[in-house]
Amino acid sequence: MDILGNLAHGFGVALSFQNLLFALIGALIGTAIGVLPGIGPVATISLLLPITFGQPATTAIIMLAGIYYGAQYGGSTTAILLNLPGEISSVVTTLEGYKMARNGRAGAALATSALGSFFAGSVATVLVAASGPLLTSVALSFGPADYFSLMLLGLIISAVLAQGSVLKSVAMVVMGVLLGLVGTDVQTGQQRFTFGIPELSDGISFVALAMGMFGIAEIILNLERPEARSVLKTKVDSLWLTKEEWKRATPSVLRGTVVGSVLGILPGGGASLAAFGSYMMERKMSKGRHMFGQGAIEGVAGPEAANNAAAQTSFIPLLTLGIPANAVMALMVGALIIQGIQPGPRMVESQPDLFWGLICSMWIGNVMLLVINLPMIGMWVKLLQVPYKFLYPSILVFCCIGAYSVNNNVFDVYSTVLFAIFGYFCNKLRMEPAPLLIGFVLGPMMEEHLRRAMLLSRGDPMVFLQRPISATLLAIAAIALLAMMLPNLRKGKEAAMAG
Amino acid sequence: MKLNAKDIAAGVFLILLAAVGLWLNQDHALGSARRMGPGYMPMLVFWIQIGLGILVLGIAFFNGPDPLEKWTGFEIGTLALGIVAGTAAMLAAPHLSSFFTTSYADLGLGMLVGFLVICIARGWRLMGYICAAMCAFCLLLERGGLMLALIATIILSAMAEPEHRQRPLGVLGMAVFLLALCWWVFIKQLDIRVAVWPQF
Repeated sequence: MDILGNLAHGFGVALSFQNLLFALIGALIGTAIGVLPGIGPVATISLLLPITFGQPATTAIIMLAGIYYGAQYGGSTTAILLNLPGEISSVVTTLEGYKMARNGRAGAALATSALGSFFAGSVATVLVAASGPLLTSVALSFGPADYFSLMLLGLIISAVLAQGSVLKSVAMVVMGVLLGLVGTDVQTGQQRFTFGIPELSDGISFVALAMGMFGIAEIILNLERPEARSVLKTKVDSLWLTKEEWKRATPSVLRGTVVGSVLGILPGGGASLAAFGSYMMERKMSKGRHMFGQGAIEGVAGPEAANNAAAQTSFIPLLTLGIPANAVMALMVGALIIQGIQPGPRMVESQPDLFWGLICSMWIGNVMLLVINLPMIGMWVKLLQVPYKFLYPSILVFCCIGAYSVNNNVFDVYSTVLFAIFGYFCNKLRMEPAPLLIGFVLGPMMEEHLRRAMLLSRGDPMVFLQRPISATLLAIAAIALLAMMLPNLRKGKEAAMAG
Repeated sequence: MKLNAKDIAAGVFLILLAAVGLWLNQDHALGSARRMGPGYMPMLVFWIQIGLGILVLGIAFFNGPDPLEKWTGFEIGTLALGIVAGTAAMLAAPHLSSFFTTSYADLGLGMLVGFLVICIARGWRLMGYICAAMCAFCLLLERGGLMLALIATIILSAMAEPEHRQRPLGVLGMAVFLLALCWWVFIKQLDIRVAVWPQF
C-alpha cells in the first residue's frame, strides 16, 4: 500500500466535476453559517442530511465535511470584525482578533486566520492520510470486547468534555443509547418500545432527532434571546502582513497545528476544545504573551490554526474506527449509515473512493476556502446584515421539507416537533444535547458488541478486564471520569469553556 | 437554601423516565448474560439511568441555588389547558372528517390545537408558534400541496416574532422569496415526490 498511489487515486475522485462542485457548495454553505451567529454546523448538517440521500455517498460526505471545516473559516470573520463569534470554536478569536481590528489591523488578523487555517488544514490532511491505514490495521485486531470498551471510552470522554455538569452529560449519553435501542431487535426481530407504530420499527429517525434537538430547539432558544447585533465599524485595510507579524505568527501557527491535531483526534474533542487549548498555550508560551489583551497576533494565529486542524483530524476516529468524536461526526455516521455504509475499520479497504476521495477533497476544500474568504470578505460581511427574523422561517421551512422527504412521511416531521420540545426542555435544565446524539449513534453498535463479547466469554463479564486492549481503554475511561470529580480540574474546565 | 431546582427537575425526570422504561421493558425477554435477549441491554441502561438520576438528585441539594425560570401559575395552567385541548382535538378528529384518519392527521390536529392554546401565555409563545407552524405544514402538505403548506408554515412561524406582526408586508416578501426558493431547490433541482398545488 503506497500512500502516494492512494492519494493519486483520491485526487482522481475528488477532482471529478461533481465532487468539486459539492466541495465548493459545502465550503460556501459552511462559510455562510460560520459567519451567521445563531446557526452552527450541527444544525446545518442535520437539516441538509435528507438532501444528500440522492447523491453518491462520497459526494455527500465531501459536501458535509466542507460545511464543517468551512464553518471554522467563516466563524473567525465575524469574531474579528464584530467581536461576535459566529461559532463556538471562534470564541477565543474575539479576544485578540477584535482588538487587532480596533488597532487598525483587521486585514492582517483576517489574513493570519485564513492562512493559519489553511496551513493547519493541509498538515492535518496529510496526518489523516498517513494515520488512517495505520490505525485501521490496529483496529482490525480488535475483538467485540475491545470495541465495546472503545465505544464506552468515547461516550465517557465526550460527556466529560461537554459543557456543564459531567453527571448530567453522562445521563444524556445514557438517554441517547436508550433512544438508539428503539425499534426492531437485530437478533430476535422483536419490536422494542415501538408502541405499535410501524414507522418506529426501523428505529427513531436520526434526521428527526438531530433536526429537532439542534435545528428547531435552537431556533426557539435564539428567539428567546434578544438579538445582539453590532454594526460593522472597522474598515478592512490591506490584507498583507508586515515582516514583524509574519515572524510572530509563524511559531504560533505551528504550535496551534500540533495542539489542534492532537485534541481533534480525542473522542469528545473537536474544533472548539482545540481553539481553547491553543489559546491557553499561546498565552503562556508565545514570545508576545505580554501583548495579550491588546491585540496580539499570536492569539489569533494559534487558535485559528488549531480549530481547523482539529476539524480535520476529528475525522480520524470516524474513518478508521467508525467512532464519532463529536456531534458533527455523529451526523456523519448517520449520513453513512443511511447510505448503506457501516463506518468502521474495513472502510479504507471496502470504500477506497470514499476514504481517499474525502481526504483529498479536504485539501482542495481548504484551497477553495482560502479564495472564498480572503478576496471575497466583503460579500460575507454583507451577509451579516440579514436579520435573524428573516433567517429562522427559512430554516424552519427547510427542516419541514427535509424531514418529510427522508421517507415521504409526515410522521418524521411530527417526531421532529417532539424532539424539538424535548431539546428545548433539556436546554432549560442545562442538559447538553450533543452527548445524547453520540449515544444515539453508538447505542445499537454497543449492544451488538456487548452481546457478541458475552457470548464468546460464555457470560463472563471479566472478559472486558482480561483482554489487554479493553482493560486499558476502560482504565482510561475510569481515570477521565474520576479526574472530573476533582474540584481543581473541574474549575479548570469551566474556566476553559467560559473562555 | 442551596437547592438546585434545575438539577432536581432533571433528576426526577431521569428517574421517572427510567421507571416507565423498566415497566415497558417487561414485555421483552431478558435472556441470560451469555445469551442476551432483547430486554437485557435496555434493562442495564435503565438501571444506570436510575443510578445517575439519584446522583443528580442527591447533589442537587448542595450545589444550588439555581432556580428554574419563573414559570407563573398562568403559564403552567395554559400548558395544562393546551394538553387537555390537544388531546380532546386528537380524539375528536376522526369523527369530524375522514381526512383525519389518514397519515397521522388526528395527531397533527391535536398537536396544532395544543400548541396554539399554549401561545396564550407569553412564556410558551415562541415554542407554540414554531411547533404549530410545523404541524400545519404536515396537515396541509399531502392534500393542500407544498405551496399552501409553506404559506401556512411561514405565516405561523412569523407570528413568533413581534416585529413581523407589526410589518405584514415584510412577511409577504419573505413568503414569496421562500416559495420561489423552495420550488427551485426541492422541486426543480432535487425533484422530491410531493404535490406542489392543492389536490381535489
